[in-house]
Amino acid sequence: MSSQIGFGLVAAIILVSALFVVRSKNLIHAVLWLAVTLIGTAALYAQLNAPFLAGVQVLTYVGGVVTLMVFGVMVTRRHGGAEAPAESDSDEKGFIFATALFVVLALAIWKSPVPLPVQAPIATTNQLAHALLDDYLIAFEALSLLLLAAIVGAVVLARRRDPDPVSGEEAGAAAPTRSTTEVVP
Amino acid sequence: MNDFIHGSLYGGGIIVVLLTVTAMALWFERKMAGRMHSRLGPTIVGPFGLLQPVADVVKLLQKEDITPEKADAALFNLAPPMGAIAAIAVAAVIPFSSSIVAADLEVGVLYLLAIGALGVLPVFIAGWGSNNKFAMLGGMRAIAQSVSYEVPLVLAAMVPVILSGSMKVSDIVAYQAAHHWMVTWPFFLGIPAFAIFMLAMLAEANRIPFDIPEAESELVAGITTEYTGMKFALFYVAEYVHTLVASAVGAALFLGGWDGPFAPGIWWMVAKTLVLFAFIYWTRYSLLRFRSDQLMALCWRWLVPTGVVLVAASAVWVVFAG
Repeated sequence: MSSQIGFGLVAAIILVSALFVVRSKNLIHAVLWLAVTLIGTAALYAQLNAPFLAGVQVLTYVGGVVTLMVFGVMVTRRHGGAEAPAESDSDEKGFIFATALFVVLALAIWKSPVPLPVQAPIATTNQLAHALLDDYLIAFEALSLLLLAAIVGAVVLARRRDPDPVSGEEAGAAAPTRSTTEVVP
Repeated sequence: MNDFIHGSLYGGGIIVVLLTVTAMALWFERKMAGRMHSRLGPTIVGPFGLLQPVADVVKLLQKEDITPEKADAALFNLAPPMGAIAAIAVAAVIPFSSSIVAADLEVGVLYLLAIGALGVLPVFIAGWGSNNKFAMLGGMRAIAQSVSYEVPLVLAAMVPVILSGSMKVSDIVAYQAAHHWMVTWPFFLGIPAFAIFMLAMLAEANRIPFDIPEAESELVAGITTEYTGMKFALFYVAEYVHTLVASAVGAALFLGGWDGPFAPGIWWMVAKTLVLFAFIYWTRYSLLRFRSDQLMALCWRWLVPTGVVLVAASAVWVVFAG
């Protein structure tokens, strides 16, 4: 019973914060509400006996993705004040697409028989590690290769604007070259 | 229901102890700074100036509570408590003795890294919500610093996890009690990992020599520029609690935690934590502040590559020598 109350509470937090993410007129507020949504998802994982997943969710999504989004907003927006207006298309179009997506997903979930165990299976972090690094090693490594390719691609895209690689190399001896990682304007 | 009572008691206890120690740490820091500057430090309020923190708090309570007119009021007022909560929450998984631990999570190390990563959001919110150029610059610096130092922090924390074979903080301490402390053997892995961990923790806590987001000589007071009274004090408290918790985590992961002869475990844990804490103040009054680009260079050119090598070497060590 208490677990159902907990689930209801977390689900309500996720839904309400997700609503604020899309309805917020201020971009920074939207990103911070997204952080609340993601922490709520982590709480769901924790309730389902998956503490490792919950920790990774907070570490990568809230600590990494949200922080980078916030940083992106800060460095790309011209901010005359604490406002960062979020521009979006008409509400009607968004409503139609969201409803259509919801109907499709709801039908798919409704139609497909998913046998759910009454009790969530308890997998220890050790078992998880063995699964990732023994049984599914190839898939795991392939995924990391994909991520590596994405990182290299991002670096290539970001460095294209460097004026002169030779002089940049020389300046690098005293101070690092002007790259995207440097933030002080 | 039992868990609920257990959690509330431990949670309340930890908060009371942390805040008391924080108040004492204020006195300790001022005394120590005074001696290092060849002065006496606080002497007037109470014996040896011991009541100085109380006087400070009373002073801060009397200050006017100002929210700037053009600030984002909701975010501006949300940031200080959030910062304090994020700093205190990490303490939940620290084992203070073999039996005293609030929440002995199976993924304890991951938990403290994840909550540590959350700690940057309040700093950013303060910087953005203040609607002040200096606060904004401080916030941007804080995010860049925190995102960068997250990487060596995780890598360094992986070394004791790999060597002990567990992510549970209490298991890591128990392993060190049964075998060797991480810094004594294998010392060529433990000592560098410990050094990187403490550096990255200091950078996350924004302490000198890494207090670039505040940088009073260039950014007025950085993210805290617009804050007054108790809201400012909460930032201050969060910074001290963060340092204290970082010391405790460092002691647990690398210095054997509660392990030690003669005295009960908790005294060893407290002693190790306070020694690390004092060491951090020592560096604070000895070193100068880094420039932001130097900080990034240190992280990406030295700490991250060293961390990667350490993690790989620990795995090799466990397989062939452990």
